[in-house]
Amino acid sequence: MPKALEMAALVALGAAVGLGANALSPRPAPVRAKVYSVAEASGGACAGPEEAAAPAPRISVAEASALCQSCLAAFVDARGAGEFAQGHVANAVHLPPSGHPDEGAALDELRQRPLVVVYDGDDSCAVADEVAARLRRAGLADVRVLSGAWPAWAAAGAPAAAGACVSCGHAEGHP
Amino acid sequence: MRRAPAALLRLLLGALFVWAAAAKLPDMAGFAESVANYRVLPPGWVPLLAAALVGVELVAGAALVAGWWPRAAAAVLALLLLVFAAALSQALLRGIDLSCGCFGGKETASWGAVGRDLALFALTIASLALGPGRLTAPGAGAAP
Repeated sequence: MPKALEMAALVALGAAVGLGANALSPRPAPVRAKVYSVAEASGGACAGPEEAAAPAPRISVAEASALCQSCLAAFVDARGAGEFAQGHVANAVHLPPSGHPDEGAALDELRQRPLVVVYDGDDSCAVADEVAARLRRAGLADVRVLSGAWPAWAAAGAPAAAGACVSCGHAEGHP
Repeated sequence: MRRAPAALLRLLLGALFVWAAAAKLPDMAGFAESVANYRVLPPGWVPLLAAALVGVELVAGAALVAGWWPRAAAAVLALLLLVFAAALSQALLRGIDLSCGCFGGKETASWGAVGRDLALFALTIASLALGPGRLTAPGAGAAP
């Protein structure tokens, strides 16, 4: 049986090495700050006001639909793959919080439009807010979150399609 | 006769953990975000524990490769793998859509990742049971 003392020594040494390596990392974890989960960071009940990410500006379904039909906005679906496959805004890019397999290409596609609209599946928009914050950190200037989320878009009969995200590698049939 | 396979298993497992830790080092902030998304730790603990976790992976993996306290290193890594499998399982059961944070990539959490962790756990336990085999550090002891 391994000695508990040796295990404890390895863990203690490892923790010290980890903190040292973090300090040297090009993108260190903020050890003096709190790090919230996607849902919490976007205004969830557990997020303190000082740490919560500033929510992205909202855009109504009517305004977003007009921009969609005139091809002036790109759309980002922040929901899971299954929900995306069942139905999404026409030509939306599937970009959940877990990321896109080819994030660089997805971002390049979004940069083709002057405005990016992010939506998720519920009207708290917590997940969409997180993805929007990530897009803004990636340098996209005008990122907004769809008021009422996907249910409002679907209820309004705005342009939609169904099928899995091909570039995500889930299945064929992206419309 | 089983000393060579034991040594090979130890070296491969150790190298895998060193690689897994090294892959996370360029983006520790991203790894901390992945850890937070499991929603099992208080937000104030997340960055410290994420950094410590990577360090423990690195040191225990390196110890396993070097044959320095190999049984203790294997036991620590086995415990880590159980923690990883439990954290992944609870996230999947709660329907949380997240990047698993495995190997510093964007791999989505899945039952396949849980299965991989459990398979590695079994191999780590096997390494613990078989002992270090040959090629251990001088004075490391703990040969079976």
